Amino acid sequence: MSTRRNILVFGIGLAVTLLAGWVAFPRVLYVQKQQPLEFRHKTHAEKSGLAECSQCHALRDDGTFAGIPAMETCAGCHSEKMGTSKAEAILVDTYIKPGKETPWLVYAQQPANVWFSHAIHVKRAALACSECHSTYGESDEVKVYQQNRISGYSRDIWGHSISRLRRAPHEGMKMSDCEDCHRRHNLEVGCLGCHQ
Amino acid sequence: MKLTRRDLLWGVAGTAGLLVTPVPWKLLDDVSIWSQNWPWIPQPAHGPVEVKQSFCTLCPNGCGMRVRMASGWPVGVAGVASHPISRGALCPLGFGVHQLNWHPRRLRTVRHGASSSSWEAAQVAFAKACSEGPIAIIDGYPGRAASSVFETFVQKRNGSYRTVSSPETLALAPYANWSGVPVAGLGYDLENAQTIVSFGAPLLDGWATPGRFTRLWAERAAGSKDPQLRLIQVEASLSRTAARAWQWVSVHAGSEAALAAGVARVLLEEHLVPARGPMPPMTLAEAAGQTGLSTGAIVDLARTMVARPPVVAIANGDNLAIAALNVVLGAAGARGGIVRKSKHTESYASADTGIDSARAVLIDASVPWDFVPPTNAEVFRFAAWDGGSSTADWLLPAPGFLEELTDVPTAPTSAIATYAVAPSLLKASPEVQSAAQFLSGIDPALMTMEKIIHARCADLFRGRAGTLQGQEATPVAKFASVQKLEEQLWKGAVWVDEPPRSTAFRCQLKEWPTTVSSAQALSSSSVNWSNAWRAPVLPPLASKLYQESSLREAPDRRNA
Repeated sequence: MSTRRNILVFGIGLAVTLLAGWVAFPRVLYVQKQQPLEFRHKTHAEKSGLAECSQCHALRDDGTFAGIPAMETCAGCHSEKMGTSKAEAILVDTYIKPGKETPWLVYAQQPANVWFSHAIHVKRAALACSECHSTYGESDEVKVYQQNRISGYSRDIWGHSISRLRRAPHEGMKMSDCEDCHRRHNLEVGCLGCHQ
Repeated sequence: MKLTRRDLLWGVAGTAGLLVTPVPWKLLDDVSIWSQNWPWIPQPAHGPVEVKQSFCTLCPNGCGMRVRMASGWPVGVAGVASHPISRGALCPLGFGVHQLNWHPRRLRTVRHGASSSSWEAAQVAFAKACSEGPIAIIDGYPGRAASSVFETFVQKRNGSYRTVSSPETLALAPYANWSGVPVAGLGYDLENAQTIVSFGAPLLDGWATPGRFTRLWAERAAGSKDPQLRLIQVEASLSRTAARAWQWVSVHAGSEAALAAGVARVLLEEHLVPARGPMPPMTLAEAAGQTGLSTGAIVDLARTMVARPPVVAIANGDNLAIAALNVVLGAAGARGGIVRKSKHTESYASADTGIDSARAVLIDASVPWDFVPPTNAEVFRFAAWDGGSSTADWLLPAPGFLEELTDVPTAPTSAIATYAVAPSLLKASPEVQSAAQFLSGIDPALMTMEKIIHARCADLFRGRAGTLQGQEATPVAKFASVQKLEEQLWKGAVWVDEPPRSTAFRCQLKEWPTTVSSAQALSSSSVNWSNAWRAPVLPPLASKLYQESSLREAPDRRNA
């Protein structure tokens, strides 16, 4: 086999592996799942007078974060259908009237050994919601939930960029992301700060 | 199959290409997370998260704790910064205490010898023993409502109530003997001390209420060449406390009493202190010979100690010479030294003596696992976890962490009286019983824990003294009713007494002690549970913190 042919074989092999690693691997690794309902943050912020994130995503009296609002919060406005959309019908008929919680797929779901306090970050550090959640609060649709087939967690934990290079500050929720942000703010936290 | 050059080139190219894709490290990351989520690994239930204020009840120091509960189960704990004594700190065991209830060595069945038995059989056996002869109950955490149940039970049966002391409590025993003030009425006024001389006490490594001295040290001593608080550590090895102390005095192991005598001689001969105590018979040269220090070093140490008063010496256990040194220094019964608390007049007898003639001995779950009573009596041992090698006749499963209501009296070395209530956050399984419940089954006339705690709250309310320290400090006098006061205590507030008007007491010490320890003649069963690790089992988190990361010095290393 000539040298030129050797280089060609090597190049093709390299290209195939690179394509498989950078393009095919992320597609195979994550399975796409639809949220149970369509939801528009933008509509709620602009038309329903819910301009502040904390109006739905509130802190409880004891400082813990309520997370995604419970069904009773949604029922405050949506006890009856407020439009003719399919999502509205599903919301009212499938969840609100039977009193069932919507099984949202949580992008930020962390392992059980991780403790994160929204209260500390929002109140003490005075971080705006957008610093971590970007412009998601202004979005007009819910993101597709991409679940990692091996770990079972959302792609948002790793971040959209499979290489994790050049990612935006709000991208990724790995421990190293917490550490990077704390380092940028000259804050040191021991293991038990998050792994209580 | 023949391997061709083309196959080799494909392999090399593939490997090289793979290494510059995210595949290897992404798979490594995902597989490691996947291994944490295997279905047989227990996971806390998902559900509403709430935070409850409580207290660690594993030892008598009662550190304040925030318990994070998910779906009604504790999944994490953290210190409470507003707690007046522990001030937000917890020991490694405390940080993992919520894991202990699921420990594989959790006791769930009554055992009689090597076989399983029942609560009914244990109760019949103990009631029979009570009718046949004197009994003794041993408590590791005196002053609680449960302790009151124990005391009432033994008083009715002419039995004896005994306690097991920690080394911190034992260190206060000589002053109790010389002054008549009970050990439970004495404490260290560390907050007002300027110089602390520790004779081997692991002050920065879990001594007493762990947060108390570490916070004090962080605020007044850490990182300064001339700190407000001078910590002098006298110890044979460079322990963690010695490494952080303002001055480390390296002496031969076991020569602390000789050094105390040498220092006292210098103080009295050079008139560095008023002549308050007796002159030690040991000469300076003898002290130097025993400690391995030069006479000049002992003289320098004595001068340094009194250079910035108030000064107090702290022994690691019962050491008469170090207690006598405190008398010479004027630290016994003085501000910044050993002081008398406002409350506590009760004196507790040690479990080391007086139980050899008992027909039966009941050991509460608060007594450290390693404690072996010096008796041949029938032993009924309550414990939540099986630490192995038990010699007890009966092993009785007790409630685990926060599975029973208890109150939290003053921590042993605290200079100020406190009181708190740790309600049960978890329902105990029917397989377990506390010793107080067990005794109530035999004598239904005994008061329940709820009633005793209510009576104590009523006493606090009637006293109108002190402050209730919750999220805010509220004087007791401002509470309109005992119910309001009790409600706050049940929610995790701590009652803190007012500083006593007089903390002084007088020690009658005419001659320098000739024995090293007042407990020397006693059994060797005294427990060393704070500076030696005596927990029967370790939660995984404490194991990680304490053993793998060596955050706390292992006792065998300290003794090396």
